Amino acid sequence: MSVLLEISDLVTSYGKIEALKGVSLSVEHGSITCLLGPNGAGKTTLMMTTAGILRPKRGSIRFSGSEIAGRAPHAIVAQGVALVPENRLVFPAMTVIDNLQAGAYQRNDRAEIAADGERMFERFPRLKERSAQLAGTLSGGEQQMLAVARALMSRPKLLLMDEPSLGLAPLVVEEIFRIIAELHKDGATIFLVEQNAHLALKVAQHFYLMEQGKVSFSGTPGALAEDEVIRRAYLGSAKS
Amino acid sequence: MSDYAIGVLTNIGLVSFIALSAYLLLIAGEMSFGQQGFFGVGAYVAGIATAMYGIPLPVAAVIAMAAGAAAAFLVGLPTLRLRGLYFAMATLAAAEMLRILFELIHFQREIDGELVGPDGTQGFRSIRWVFEAGIEPADFLVIVWALLALAVTAFIVVERSRLGATLRMLGEDPELARMLGIRVERFKLGIAAAAGAFAALGGALYAHHNTYIEPRNFDIMLGVHSLAYALIGGLGTVFGPLFGVLIDIGVLEGSRVFQGYRMIVFGGLVALLLVVRPRGLLDERFVHRLRFRAFRHT
Amino acid sequence: MLFDLLQNTLDGLAMGSAYALLAVGFTLIFGVLRRVNLSYGPAIMFGAYCATWVHLNFQAGVLALALITIAGAALAGAYVERLCFAPHRNGSAIAAMVASFALWMQFEELVTLVMPKHLYDFPPMLSADPISFGPLTLPIEALVMLGCALAIGFGLQRLLYRSRFGLAVRAVIDAPVAAQLAGINVPRILMQVFLLASSIGGLAGYLIVSTHTQITPMLGMWSTLKGLLAMMIGGLGSLPGAIVGGLLLGVLEAHSQWFLGPQSRDLLAYLLLFALLALRPFGLWRARHAETRA
Repeated sequence: MSVLLEISDLVTSYGKIEALKGVSLSVEHGSITCLLGPNGAGKTTLMMTTAGILRPKRGSIRFSGSEIAGRAPHAIVAQGVALVPENRLVFPAMTVIDNLQAGAYQRNDRAEIAADGERMFERFPRLKERSAQLAGTLSGGEQQMLAVARALMSRPKLLLMDEPSLGLAPLVVEEIFRIIAELHKDGATIFLVEQNAHLALKVAQHFYLMEQGKVSFSGTPGALAEDEVIRRAYLGSAKS
Repeated sequence: MSDYAIGVLTNIGLVSFIALSAYLLLIAGEMSFGQQGFFGVGAYVAGIATAMYGIPLPVAAVIAMAAGAAAAFLVGLPTLRLRGLYFAMATLAAAEMLRILFELIHFQREIDGELVGPDGTQGFRSIRWVFEAGIEPADFLVIVWALLALAVTAFIVVERSRLGATLRMLGEDPELARMLGIRVERFKLGIAAAAGAFAALGGALYAHHNTYIEPRNFDIMLGVHSLAYALIGGLGTVFGPLFGVLIDIGVLEGSRVFQGYRMIVFGGLVALLLVVRPRGLLDERFVHRLRFRAFRHT
Repeated sequence: MLFDLLQNTLDGLAMGSAYALLAVGFTLIFGVLRRVNLSYGPAIMFGAYCATWVHLNFQAGVLALALITIAGAALAGAYVERLCFAPHRNGSAIAAMVASFALWMQFEELVTLVMPKHLYDFPPMLSADPISFGPLTLPIEALVMLGCALAIGFGLQRLLYRSRFGLAVRAVIDAPVAAQLAGINVPRILMQVFLLASSIGGLAGYLIVSTHTQITPMLGMWSTLKGLLAMMIGGLGSLPGAIVGGLLLGVLEAHSQWFLGPQSRDLLAYLLLFALLALRPFGLWRARHAETRA
């Protein structure tokens, strides 16, 4: 398998405070890679820097061979990277359909966009029922699905997801993860931030653990489950 | 000193009062577009008191300050709960209403065969108390700057006290202030009234320096200028707004080098400066560093 | 009496449509930036002075003068955007506003340097007789103004809801970070909105000076104040609100001018603004989500 995203020695700071202190990791083509870590470890900062919303101070982000660190967000979307941001960030005063259209903003193939929209409605039937409704009136779970669908509308080569389960009911979270598994089966590459290690273990092939702005563990689900410290902190018990 | 230099320096002092008034509200987190209204109230009230009723200027100035504070209090009462732009617009509307009221006031008395008092858009002439009391322009300059020094000292004392810390906290995080048990609304009303009093004192002195005032002296231009002074000079210290006035009136107008296109230079300078220093030259960080250095050397 | 009321309402609607156009431009800028552009009016004044200068030095037709005003206002608007708003996009709203005031000073001094007289004549749009409906009369200009306001209003609504550009503008207004993540080039959209808004302002400026047939540097402050006033009456950030706010302001001013005189007219307009802010801070037509942003 080849490497699709390679981040090396990435530093991002807010004023004088460094939120990322030299992060290096890579995401393999066609894999689900999961990033674990406590609140404030810098996971969201890493996602926002990769998507171009935050500018890194140092380091490199190579995406399928070309450097994207510090480029504008729209240029990064054009390269084929889409982020499903933390807390969803849909367009609350726009309809569900317009949200999807906005996701396809950079594409010009009208017929194909319409076909992709139909595909989204097949994958997320709840969105179809609500297609003319304003996104701000949807439930949290529906908004999360809309955020995923919006990101997919740009036909990304890499899907970044920042805590898609945050604040959602267990049943909804399960549905989200079922969709993540489905997307993976269809060939998508996903880089996922998740606090819920139990769920992530079911889908991801590779894990990173981030603490205080640095990567402190890298390994397979097996290695993760065997690490005593991680097991205690993230899996809640000695058994898994 | 030449008459011209005295005039420029007096002007710097006078305008500094309204700049201080805008600054006081800015550090409390409120942007007022209306301080010129209270400057005008001070000018009219003090002018009426001395020219029409023969009250000495020191007493008239105190009355003017009380009137300015009262006007600011009344404007603040329904508007201080508004945020940001809404507050700015409400204060602008209030100041414009005051300006139009000045245009509508025709209130004159005959004194020594001459009609004295505000005459609508024709303005208010013969505010001659300073001249009649035999105070020379140079003496008046000293009075203005002494009062300004007093005001600045008061600011410094307040800024170093717990009151000053509360003030800045109010500007940076009103919710935190509320949680700590500060009565935000009441506190802000007090601040607004104090700012109104400062502006009114400036107006009272302004009227007596010029001997003639008219409603359009107190239009929005003056208000936005005073905001700009505080913002280019810096929000880190009370000397920030004074520094802003000095740059504009002292260097650009006073030096007469840029005559004819002073505003083009000043405008461009301000816009570029704000790109680099959005909270002014003497901003909080700069002042902090300065204090730190001074502390290390002692 | 009834006749006066009707005639005043007609005159007010005509002036109100100019206010509505001013407010629409203001609202567009406020919508995408959440910032107030004090130089909005002065940019319009700059455009109108460009047209006046051309009129004094060359032979130019009505259409040419209108286009020059629009182009001048757009050019000045672009300058304001670059210097005052692009640098402060993620920073201080106050700094951006004060910077836009600084450029206002520049525009005012620039036009008085090149054209030092206090007042210049501006050619009227048409020299046709007013139309009369029984005892009521209405100048053709008034009809043109009303027509322009309605056309721009409908055109904008279509542009915003039927085009790719409109989709991007609505996305930026709604959630700027999400818009970036969707691949929208936000800085470019902001610049385009600025150009569009300044052009609409320029059109309003042309209609106003050609109706008054004269121009002074006060046009800058006047346009900013009237635009702001109409925008705030209509509720921040709502385009239909801006149009209704402008028309309402125009009618109110016409009646109060007739019954109370020009000073009381202005007093009443500010009193209305003050009372609205104190009692209904989100305008008569509350914009969706405006309360969570401003």
